[in-house]
Amino acid sequence: MRRAALAAALAALVPATAMAAGTPAFPWVNEVWSYTISGFLWTGAVLAVEITALGMTTGVVLGLGLALMRLSRLRVVSSVAWFYIFIMRGTPLLLQLVFVFDALPAIGIKLDSFATAVIAFALNEAAFSAEIIRGGIFSVNRTQSIAAASLGMGGWLTLRRIILPQAMRAILPGIANNTVSMLKLTSIASVIFVNELTFRAQQIVGQNFRFFTVFTAAAIIYLLLTSAIAAAQALAERRFSEERDPGAGGIFSRLLRPHGVASPLPAAIVPMRPNTLEPQDLAWLQLHERARESDAPFVAGHNVQKSYGARQVLAGLDFVVKQGEVVTILGPSGSGKSTLLRMINHLEAMDWGEITVDGKQVGYQPSNGGKPRPTRDLARARADARIGMVFQHFNLFAHLTALENVIEAPIRVHGVKRAEAIAQGMRLLASVGLAAHAHHLPHRLSGGQQQRVAIARALAIRPTLMLFDEPTSALDPELVGEVLGVMRKLAEAGMTMIVVTHEMRFARQVGDRVIFMDEGRVVEEGPPAQVIDAPRHERTRRFLRQVEHEEDVT
Amino acid sequence: MPSLRKHLLIAIAAGFAALGATSAARAAGPACAPAKLGEKYPSLVGKTIKMGADPQTQPYVLRDPADFNKVIGADTELAAAVFDCVGIKHEMFLGGWSGMLPALTAGQIDVFWDTLYYTPERAKEADFVVYMQAGTGALTQPGNPKHITSWDDSCGDTYAVGLGTVEEVKMHEEDAACKAKGKAGITILTYPDQASGMRLIQMSRADIMLTDLSMVDSQVAAHPEIYARAYKVLTGFLIGAAVKKGNGELLHAIEDGLTIMQANGTQKAIFEKYHIDPSLQEPVAIKTK
Repeated sequence: MRRAALAAALAALVPATAMAAGTPAFPWVNEVWSYTISGFLWTGAVLAVEITALGMTTGVVLGLGLALMRLSRLRVVSSVAWFYIFIMRGTPLLLQLVFVFDALPAIGIKLDSFATAVIAFALNEAAFSAEIIRGGIFSVNRTQSIAAASLGMGGWLTLRRIILPQAMRAILPGIANNTVSMLKLTSIASVIFVNELTFRAQQIVGQNFRFFTVFTAAAIIYLLLTSAIAAAQALAERRFSEERDPGAGGIFSRLLRPHGVASPLPAAIVPMRPNTLEPQDLAWLQLHERARESDAPFVAGHNVQKSYGARQVLAGLDFVVKQGEVVTILGPSGSGKSTLLRMINHLEAMDWGEITVDGKQVGYQPSNGGKPRPTRDLARARADARIGMVFQHFNLFAHLTALENVIEAPIRVHGVKRAEAIAQGMRLLASVGLAAHAHHLPHRLSGGQQQRVAIARALAIRPTLMLFDEPTSALDPELVGEVLGVMRKLAEAGMTMIVVTHEMRFARQVGDRVIFMDEGRVVEEGPPAQVIDAPRHERTRRFLRQVEHEEDVT
Repeated sequence: MPSLRKHLLIAIAAGFAALGATSAARAAGPACAPAKLGEKYPSLVGKTIKMGADPQTQPYVLRDPADFNKVIGADTELAAAVFDCVGIKHEMFLGGWSGMLPALTAGQIDVFWDTLYYTPERAKEADFVVYMQAGTGALTQPGNPKHITSWDDSCGDTYAVGLGTVEEVKMHEEDAACKAKGKAGITILTYPDQASGMRLIQMSRADIMLTDLSMVDSQVAAHPEIYARAYKVLTGFLIGAAVKKGNGELLHAIEDGLTIMQANGTQKAIFEKYHIDPSLQEPVAIKTK
């Protein structure tokens, strides 16, 4: 009865202007009109909307689960999801409805028409949404989750905060399509006694055979309902557009990004200063240094091995980095530099050997060398290690502003209070000279600015070690200087840094020590003056000649 | 437990009422005794029977043109009269025709009562109480342009038949017979509901639409400018209400009620109201095979 009342209310909402069209010259227009405002038909329409709303919501949630199962590395899990999708997509929905309604009673599950329709539509939709959502997840660059992992964000957190909000742009059109389809397809539920809009229209036609006017009215009602879906789609798409104005809130943003920065901070509390990273900006570093009081190497690798299939990338590497030291790693591409860097914070798994940071392995159970055994909560281990990482392609979270990028991990991973995180984030952005860009999305920033935001983001987790993976390689030459400037300040402030780079000037002027790698081994290492200016190995000399030649050309 | 107590009270009250009514009823043969349901059919007391029907089957089950929220029709009224007579509460459960038999065998509905033909094949799935004979009418365009007078002289013609009906089976047989004789076959179009079958005739997409005789006659009477009857066949099929196997009490309760409706003339009165030939009434019988 509630449904009928709602139907009557909705029927009354049909634009009264349409009435004006009902001139006596076209008597059928009046007839169509009378059916368009028929409470009998609208009751069916409300029923169709209820089934669609519940079926779609449940279906999308189930679909998300299925999509994640499909992406699982566990063969059993992904196969089960694949099989479910294969069956549900490959068999007619009509049969699924009849099966749920008429076959399940044999095993004691007797569902009524409405519940059957909701469940069958949801189960069917799950299979289709799973593939749409999987496609959406694929559309988000892998580098986004790598960046999240480097900040210590776990799988679920990364999915909810980083992947899904960006995947929404690819997911929404497909889901809206399916919603419209489902709304209209509820008519096939008449075989299980659901009296929705189309079936009701057919019943009227079955009684008076006025199919043209009745079906036209039903079509108008469907159009009104699907217009609402289209409008919701447009709103949602605008919400998840990367061109949006930062801070523009909405229901969708609150669902997925509960802490969207509402308004830019007043300029007064933001210290405007040029690119000046001062030691006090890294206050935690001194505390840590004082607490440590040990001469043991800060980072130590022993017999580190790694292969991709048959290809050996690291062939039993040994290295040490002292606290406060700036080590640059040089070497031709494919020499295993980046792989080594990613193993220090366990973004890549080790096949053999041991790496300790501040005496502890990151995400491995304590062992005496040999085959490393990973711990259960890798994300937590990464977070606790507090190792900052900066990537060649910046890997800023594309849907978050500069400030949101910086405060994400402190708030979500380290439980820092929001106000405190914003204050620290603004301080860090100011220290890399970007306070004015705090509320800009990454795509509005230049490469050099993006990389400086990325450095601020890495510093926001208060790291005691910073890893740089070719931080200037993707930059235009005139932008390289601003990033190297920040890195130089960082080094002067006493940060322990491992930098994979081709920047000879940086290696020479800022680096304390250079490691030259080739084919997964350390070829030679020592102070820059020795390795760069007086290399002992022919391999090193050849590499340096090549690099310097390239620098001359550019 | 309030509902159980309520049911007990009703049963006791019904018992007393039945005692009082016995002497009165004895005089005039079988008569309606709704209060006595518990004596003969204790399992039905307090239960609401779900009656499945498709409200697109004019003139048996259809929406009331004056108020679409109401359902009327010959079967609707007959069923209501029968259930009232024997004292069973019932509700209409409306859906598409093709979903009815599966729902009945699954127990989602208790009785399928909507111009359903009895066949031995269907009696394997459900028990029947038959009460009328079926007639098939052949609906065509005015003047019967192709001069079709019987379904055995229809080779080369186009027939519209209801999905899953006995007519569909029959026309496939005729089609095979035509081809066996070396003649052109019959093009068979199946329609899911009456209205879409009628549109096939209206648009001349089919030469003949086979459907219930009463339906054909009422349409020809209402719209002689659109339709005509090509021929009629008294197929000998019986029409009945179908009950799930193993539900003997409901089956016999319906039989009791229908017997009374035939004896007191209610069935024929309902038939006349809906322009159904009263001579199609058949003595009530149970068919379980």
